[in-house]
Amino acid sequence: MSLLETKKLVKKFGGVRAVDHVDVRFEAGMLTGLIGPNGSGKTTLINTLTGLLPMDGGTVVVSDNVALHAVRPTSIATYGLTRTFQSVRLFEQMSVLDNLLVVLTERNVWGALFERHGKYHLDTAEDILKKVGLWEKHHELAGTLSYGQRKLLEIARAVSMRARVYFFDEPFAGLFPEMRKVVSAILHELRENGAAVVLVEHDMDLIRSLADYCYVLDSGTVIAEGAPEAVLKQANVIDAYLGK
Amino acid sequence: MDIVSQIALNAVIAGAIYSLVTLGFNLIYGTARFFDLGYGALAATGGYAAFYFYTQLGLPLLLALALAILVASALGLLIEKTIYRPLRARKASGTILLVASLGVLTVIQAVIAIIFSSQFQTLSRDVAAEKVYTILGGAITQTQVLILVTALVIMLALALLLKYTLFGKAVRAVSDDDEVASIVGINTEKVMGAVFAIGSAIAGVAGVAAAFDTGIQPTMGLSLLLKGVIAAIIGGIGNVYGGIIGAFFLAIVENLGAWQFSGEWKDAVAFAVLILFLLFRPQGVWPK
Amino acid sequence: MEYLIHIAILVSIYSILGLSLNLVVGEAGLLSVTHAAFYGIGAYATALLLTESGMNFFLAMLIGMVITGAIALLIGAVLSRFDGDFYALGSLGFNVIVFSILLNWQSLTNGPLGIPGIARPSLFGFSFESNTSFLTLSLVLLALVWGICTLITRSSFGRVLHAIREDEQAIQVFGYTTTYYKLVIFVLSAMLAAVAGALFASYITFIDPSSFTVNESIFMLSIIILGGLASHRGAVLGAAFLIILPEALRFAGFPTDVAAQMRQVTYGAILILLMLYRPQGLLGEYRL
Repeated sequence: MSLLETKKLVKKFGGVRAVDHVDVRFEAGMLTGLIGPNGSGKTTLINTLTGLLPMDGGTVVVSDNVALHAVRPTSIATYGLTRTFQSVRLFEQMSVLDNLLVVLTERNVWGALFERHGKYHLDTAEDILKKVGLWEKHHELAGTLSYGQRKLLEIARAVSMRARVYFFDEPFAGLFPEMRKVVSAILHELRENGAAVVLVEHDMDLIRSLADYCYVLDSGTVIAEGAPEAVLKQANVIDAYLGK
Repeated sequence: MDIVSQIALNAVIAGAIYSLVTLGFNLIYGTARFFDLGYGALAATGGYAAFYFYTQLGLPLLLALALAILVASALGLLIEKTIYRPLRARKASGTILLVASLGVLTVIQAVIAIIFSSQFQTLSRDVAAEKVYTILGGAITQTQVLILVTALVIMLALALLLKYTLFGKAVRAVSDDDEVASIVGINTEKVMGAVFAIGSAIAGVAGVAAAFDTGIQPTMGLSLLLKGVIAAIIGGIGNVYGGIIGAFFLAIVENLGAWQFSGEWKDAVAFAVLILFLLFRPQGVWPK
Repeated sequence: MEYLIHIAILVSIYSILGLSLNLVVGEAGLLSVTHAAFYGIGAYATALLLTESGMNFFLAMLIGMVITGAIALLIGAVLSRFDGDFYALGSLGFNVIVFSILLNWQSLTNGPLGIPGIARPSLFGFSFESNTSFLTLSLVLLALVWGICTLITRSSFGRVLHAIREDEQAIQVFGYTTTYYKLVIFVLSAMLAAVAGALFASYITFIDPSSFTVNESIFMLSIIILGGLASHRGAVLGAAFLIILPEALRFAGFPTDVAAQMRQVTYGAILILLMLYRPQGLLGEYRL
């Protein structure tokens, strides 16, 4: 079942189409890789799908039944979408624990005013932080964490959302092997639980071992799609990576 | 007919002064990328320096004006070197720079008030002997004509400087991306210093013009600055030419407002225009 | 002694202003330069209700808070769509507009002449006529405001405000309509400022527009930036420091009008020095 699908999605910067009539499908229980050389439009695609950039054309279909022609960042959570950021955007001057609690607690303004956080929220946050090995640091400010720990916290924050579609924008980049294992395990678990996991990654070995399906983008268009093994052998994909 | 042409003339004079303010403000905002509130105080510095050299010391007019503009420019450069530059070196956020420049504005404004008193004053000139021209029934004084000409000359000079000189190229490179600019061998700190010196000199000219046109008051800097900022936003912030359009647009609306509602509402009208623009067209009429 | 009590009352009033402004600036990271407008609306509403209808002070204060909240809702609905420099500029614009209205809507506010003869509060037959009893009342209200601010900042709502301060777009992606949060905190903060306004009006027993200018808003900002953003103790410390300091200057032998300007010089300089050397303020942790 498709949890998120685009039809002829377009995103323009000035006269340049950074995303050019892209059709992609992200299925439940599948890990989909999004690969392509730098500047091929992977991050722009995710930013458009999560409303950070307004779309300039096409349709986004959520769970086969909601067709959208505009996506607002504040509404993506209701569609069950969540993400991490390539440049790691934590709430720096908040504690590690608060970075998670803030996505777990009440969304309604009045509810939020009269609640601090329930035990349930605290337990959830503790579970997730333990999973990524950051529980010992839960009182420290996010800004004081190391680069790898910051990436893990961001992944933990996305996981806390209990979403249906997860976008991970280069979650492995700059991580030590130990941390890579943790992240792989998390991606696996989300996939096993029936979520659609979208992974932007440059490491082709990781794509081969993790992804069920993958899309190759170049200059804003999908130039190939299919099982990673087959796709990565295609001549045009190799050309795109080598720059012809 | 008379009232209309008088409003038009008043708007043109005010617009010329606002364009000067907005010109320098945009130049600085475009390169240093923060809301420099201290910039307003430099306009006041220019006005008061002119008052000091011309009215109090009795120096010849042109010498007094040159010195006044020099003082504003030098003070602007000094502030850049001692306050903004160290902050930039620490990669301070725009808000920190904004708050620091708020401090600069407050200090200079108060120092001026201590030295010259906070009373409204006018620059001595022989009002009776001044030529008054009549255009379509509206009156315009010789001073105002001079202000208009000066503003036009400065706009043109700055445009040529930015477009055709090596310095202009460097400024544009730094405004686009200061890191890249320094990689290709542009001394960004030097460019930044020059931008502050030139910008502050323009603020000084605007202050002098406002001083001769209406008079001086320590708080004149803030109100001039705010008009300049509003004009910049109307025109599209960071766009040097858009600001000029914004300045004249603001001056027209203000003077129409003053005619319709009485002069006390002038500032309120200006800010109402600002808020409308921020709401409905934050990128201005001529985005960069 | 009477003099010390006077100072203590002023410190309490400005502490309330600092605490309430901190909700917007310190907790939510929105540089609001319009707090004096709400302080003023609260003061005028209370003063008019007291002098025109002679109702009880506390009832008048509550109604004043509601009126201020309603106006803040309108202003906030516009401001909440902005962020960064535009928020600062837009809010400053609203301060200018509100000031213009207080000054020029003569039939309601009595214009520049102000409203004299405002009664001191009384409750169940006890009148807070003496300064000692008024100080007690101010401290009780300060404690209440402190408590409310603590409840807000420790709630989930407070946590969301912090996230907005850190990265508004990121928290939107996690399902928060941040505009509502910015609007609600803005209105709450304005209503608490109205408490300070009511206290001020009935303490001085006379108000005029000059107490509610943009400069006054900047002064309130200095209080919390000095004390430390997002710190309750910092707001009180900042208020105490900036109220007592100019008094000390007066004792040092400066004439009154120079002392007033010296106060401006001092707090301007404090802002600059803080930005250069301690951007988190004396007691705060949050850096701009």
